[in-house]
Amino acid sequence: MDSTTLTALKITLHCASLATFLVMIPGTWIAYVLARRDFPGKNILSAIVGLPLVLPPTAVGYLLLQLLSTEGLLGQNRLGFDLNILLTWKAVTLACAVMSLPLVIRTARVAFEGVDPRLESMARTLGHSRIKTFFCYTLPLAFRGIFAALILGFTRALGEFGATVTIAGNIPGKTQTLASAIFTAQQVGNQTEAYFLLGIALIIGFVAILVSEYLSQRQTQ
Amino acid sequence: MRNENTTLKTHIRLQLDRFDLDVNFEASEHVTGIFGVSGSGKTSLLETIAGLRQKAKGTLQLGKTIWFDSENGIFKKPEHRDIGFVPQAGLLFPHKNVKANLLAGGIRAKRKGQTLTDIFDHVIYILNLESLLLRSIDTLSGGERQRVALGRALCSGPRLLLMDEPLASLDVGMRHKVLPFLRRVRNEFDVKMLLVSHSPIEVQTLCDDLIVLQEGKIIRRGEPRTVLTDPAVFPLAQHQGFENILSCLLVDRGPHTNIIRLGKEGPPIHITTPKINSKRNETFLISIPAHDIIIATQNPAGLSARNILQAKIQSIQTVGNMRLITARLANDVPDLVIEVTADACEELKLEQGKSVYLIIKAVSCTLYENERED
Repeated sequence: MDSTTLTALKITLHCASLATFLVMIPGTWIAYVLARRDFPGKNILSAIVGLPLVLPPTAVGYLLLQLLSTEGLLGQNRLGFDLNILLTWKAVTLACAVMSLPLVIRTARVAFEGVDPRLESMARTLGHSRIKTFFCYTLPLAFRGIFAALILGFTRALGEFGATVTIAGNIPGKTQTLASAIFTAQQVGNQTEAYFLLGIALIIGFVAILVSEYLSQRQTQ
Repeated sequence: MRNENTTLKTHIRLQLDRFDLDVNFEASEHVTGIFGVSGSGKTSLLETIAGLRQKAKGTLQLGKTIWFDSENGIFKKPEHRDIGFVPQAGLLFPHKNVKANLLAGGIRAKRKGQTLTDIFDHVIYILNLESLLLRSIDTLSGGERQRVALGRALCSGPRLLLMDEPLASLDVGMRHKVLPFLRRVRNEFDVKMLLVSHSPIEVQTLCDDLIVLQEGKIIRRGEPRTVLTDPAVFPLAQHQGFENILSCLLVDRGPHTNIIRLGKEGPPIHITTPKINSKRNETFLISIPAHDIIIATQNPAGLSARNILQAKIQSIQTVGNMRLITARLANDVPDLVIEVTADACEELKLEQGKSVYLIIKAVSCTLYENERED
């Protein structure tokens, strides 16, 4: 295994973990709001946060690119300073986070919907505020499902390719991830390298899905 | 136990799917029952009182504390209402064991300056929960769950206990086992209670005052026995009919049956009942369904039924095609209610003041453990 492969693996794990961490709180919160509250425009919010799941990842990447370009909403000319994201590991993380957010929200929403709202009412009548009810009753009861959601989000981030390549490029040793390394290996015809990377991707993905399935099943029982 | 400080004043209007809930009552007795068929608005009423329905209009006040006044924009959150809620299905917290469930509302009891351990120990003693404390929720039987749910509500130091058909999710045998616990709670805890029920046995054995709801409106109110035999209310009990509930004393234990005595003075009235394991001279509640009693104008012979009692007809009420007859066994025993068809009533020429024989099968009688009320 050469050092660029190792770096690609490191960058992948690093960026995917960071992306999962970034998505954790907003994802859980949006999932809770979608599961428990009724408000005008709920379906629209639900559709918007679900979009990255159905759009071509390159389209999402292109949108992010527009946002972050010099003239974009988050670009240098608007903000007055350069966020310095494009073509760095930050861009990899951002692409991973945006692409895994909808998956986290969907899965966590199901977890919250699986908690009987009457249990929350009981907690309220026993003297607990809404916030305390959320942290001491809703969250522990939905915990397995939320954990499963984060694992799914993490695996989605690990495999992210389209959006990442669009805004972070495929720079070996800098922004090349497992997914883009496989693509490069295939392009240059390096079969050994491709098989090796494929093996790693298989193992991580398989374990993650297994754990996530196990956790979701335990919650529904 | 009339006490102005704990009178619940309720005036609530709430839109429901099929009709509007619109009730206005003051509950000052210890236990007030709310009776009605399912879908009559009972649960919605309890949830509104608990603060779990926010769209209601009206006022709500316990003693001097105003919980809710829609016109003046007052809405106390459920966690600030000092309510214990016992739901139909227990709704225990599955991520906590029995003890943690019981203590879930302990913070409020503490905040109110009550000593949690005192309440906790008392609740455990009254509901006999000691052996369950370390069990996880999914190992409990239906009856045990309801006892824990009751205990959890009581441990939070409530000023008002709301019970939403606490026995409805249990099978008949289990109900008989849990009902005595409800009676113990009623007798041991000085907390006002609202009991929603569609069981004539529950409301008669637990309530001092009964409100009947139909399509969201109060149609009758008063002493449970009188209200339940009212022609407008009786049909609501549907197949359950009316249950005669009397206190009695176990006087003799035969090999296959028990004998109980009704009334305290005067000539003893004995009834043979199915055998239950208990000591002599203990008091019980006996329940006899009104439609299981046969009326005869002459003393019959050669019957398998174990009990033939002499009685005098006090009144006859018409309820649809049926007649509700009240008959007196003795002056110190509450009158029995008997349900017969209009045809039977006519053929036997039953009328007020007529002497008759009441025939009751032993197996029609159910004995409930009774708590001495002292």
